[in-house]
Amino acid sequence: MFRKLCIVPAILAGWALPTPAIADLRVFACEPEWAALAKEIGGDKVSAYSATHEKQDAHHVRARPSLIAKVRRADMVFCSGAGLEVGWLPLLMQRGARANVRPGKPGHFMAAQHVAVREIPAVVDRSLGDVHPEGNPHVHLDPRNLIVLARELTKRLSAIDSENKPTYVQNFSNFERRWSANIEGWNAKAAGLKNMPVVVHHKSWSYLIGWLGLNEVGSLEAKPGIPPTVSHLRNLLKTASAAKAKAILRTPFDQSDPSNWLAGKTNIQALVLPFTVSRNAKPGALKNLFDDILLQLEKANRHP
Amino acid sequence: MTSRFIRAVAALAVPISVAATPVYAADKQDLNRILGEIQALKKAYENRIATLENKIKSLEQKKAVTGKKATPASAGKSIKDNSFNPSLGIVLNGRASTYSENSSEIAGFGIGEEGERGREGLAIDESEINFSANVDDKFYASSTVAIVREEGEDKVELEEAYLQTLPDAGLPDGLRIKAGRAFWTLGYLNEHHAHADDFADRPLPYRAFLNKAFNDDGVEISYVVPADLFIEFGGGVFRGDDFPAGDSVSGLGAWSAYGRIGGDIGDNQSWRLGAYTLHTDVNGRSTNEGNVNFIGKSNLYAADLRYTWAPTGNAKNSELILQAEYFNRNEEGTYSDSEASTGNVNFDDSSQGWYAQAVYKFAPSWRIGARYSQLLAADTPAGLTGSALDSAGHDPYTMSVMGDWTNSEFGRIRVQYNREELSDGREDNQFILQYIMSIGAHSAHAF
Repeated sequence: MFRKLCIVPAILAGWALPTPAIADLRVFACEPEWAALAKEIGGDKVSAYSATHEKQDAHHVRARPSLIAKVRRADMVFCSGAGLEVGWLPLLMQRGARANVRPGKPGHFMAAQHVAVREIPAVVDRSLGDVHPEGNPHVHLDPRNLIVLARELTKRLSAIDSENKPTYVQNFSNFERRWSANIEGWNAKAAGLKNMPVVVHHKSWSYLIGWLGLNEVGSLEAKPGIPPTVSHLRNLLKTASAAKAKAILRTPFDQSDPSNWLAGKTNIQALVLPFTVSRNAKPGALKNLFDDILLQLEKANRHP
Repeated sequence: MTSRFIRAVAALAVPISVAATPVYAADKQDLNRILGEIQALKKAYENRIATLENKIKSLEQKKAVTGKKATPASAGKSIKDNSFNPSLGIVLNGRASTYSENSSEIAGFGIGEEGERGREGLAIDESEINFSANVDDKFYASSTVAIVREEGEDKVELEEAYLQTLPDAGLPDGLRIKAGRAFWTLGYLNEHHAHADDFADRPLPYRAFLNKAFNDDGVEISYVVPADLFIEFGGGVFRGDDFPAGDSVSGLGAWSAYGRIGGDIGDNQSWRLGAYTLHTDVNGRSTNEGNVNFIGKSNLYAADLRYTWAPTGNAKNSELILQAEYFNRNEEGTYSDSEASTGNVNFDDSSQGWYAQAVYKFAPSWRIGARYSQLLAADTPAGLTGSALDSAGHDPYTMSVMGDWTNSEFGRIRVQYNREELSDGREDNQFILQYIMSIGAHSAHAF
């Protein structure tokens, strides 16, 4: 029996020996926005893979075999953190991760640990819905956060791959310049949006709302992650009308019925805003994301 | 707290100031003046309280916003796996079942206790208590205790108690060692706890060939290949006490090996395909309430395929899961059935079993599913004719349909109908109503 067992290590050695030629630095991004940011800073030195696509809710993803394979070869795991990926990332890490992407290593990059997190709850109980004890994880929709994160990313990429540090630093300074100009442009454009009353489907938009100074007057979900109920929607109808809400914001992966119902009963416009960039986004996609969102908000705000 | 204190002081101050006023001189004017004073005093205190309350509120808010940034970048904590050390999870599981047939013997097979049909009527199933945590940077440990009703008694069963290396353990990348007692890698369902199953009972091959699940004491090594495709292989050595093994003498009576591959098709479809083998020395395996005994070698070969398709990428809203497993068991040794007084009869033959199922989630909380499972018994040796191991040429089968409602990922209620014919001519129509509730920490389920 033991002779048969010896075959196993022999096969293992056979697989382990042929080391592949030095390839790109591989970034495993949990969400498309992080893959896009990694490409902005990494340029042609990194290849970034996004575990989810733009129509997918990153709360609920299966720890599917393909993702284990991707994590297995990753030099960096770049995610939102704050519990967003808690249903699947730990499983992938446990099964596939190399030691260099374990927590505490430069290759383990959780965005929410580097920016001010909103909505940290005082009480955590499952009867309150799918509450993130660490606060709201959707940090990417405040563009100011992206500069902070890009700077941290540059540090980490340089630490992992010191040979290409000059490239990363150069790319970052280009990005920072462009992005600061973008933010200035958006701020100017969005000045009229200040205090615009909006209803949200899920707490997906808190960072956007905080940045633009919109006024969130209600949420279709009475409790985060629990589908909207009829009685809650009835109450919301009253408050939203009284507050003269201009728009109902939802992501492409939220259910359409509740916001359509509310829009049908009122003069409030139901908007499906892009929540992130596409999985295989080209450079510049992050800018287009904010351009698109602002365009739609402005349109809704002008609507009588 | 400060505001409460001030309120208390105010409440005390008002009656004291009333008492201190000379009441005997109270003509109407005096009284009005005093009342006015009291009102003014009250107002002043209320204003001060409100100011203080606002101050506290704004301080608390400030703390909530800035608090996070001050914490150092440490391991991501979460309520699902690390907030408690160790995290504690409990799964409660109960059912009501009706059967139309008294006998549930599977003709042609020696069936272990856990492979038998569940109790009729109202009953709770296994109540599982799980503790798990990272031991340190190198090891993860988990233990699951199940309280089960067997032979009219509540018994504590140690389902799992294992440790597992973490990526920091210093092993080559992709290599993992798991040691202790665990639901070992063998087919699809074996690795999963029954509460995660899509049906209320395990399919026939699991009942006949694995006594529900193989969780012997042992050690398993596995390796994930660094490749674009998911490729994993591994194997283990085990004590040889758990079904299909039994009564280990050497304490090293079983070994296994497996390989599996998996990947995605487009954005929203995934698959995994695996091949497994388990070889056991059986020094004595008693089944059918102690009547049937097997001594010899038992070799099991299995294959599984799982495919998932979430039309929008969001399995939470709608998803189709197809799953199938095939088992082939070859046994060489002697069987005996004391009830049929067969004595030891030489046996060298194979039997097969398989099942295929489809589960479709058509709304976020609702799923329906269908399953067909079947066993193909070995030819009955002459000496076993008329015993429990005589299939009489019948191939046992079960047809199942189920529907379940999932309120949250922690609670599920299911109805299931089975039509079973486990021995020739004995048709069993079964209705099962089941609940599965989990409280506390609950680690994520694998693919």
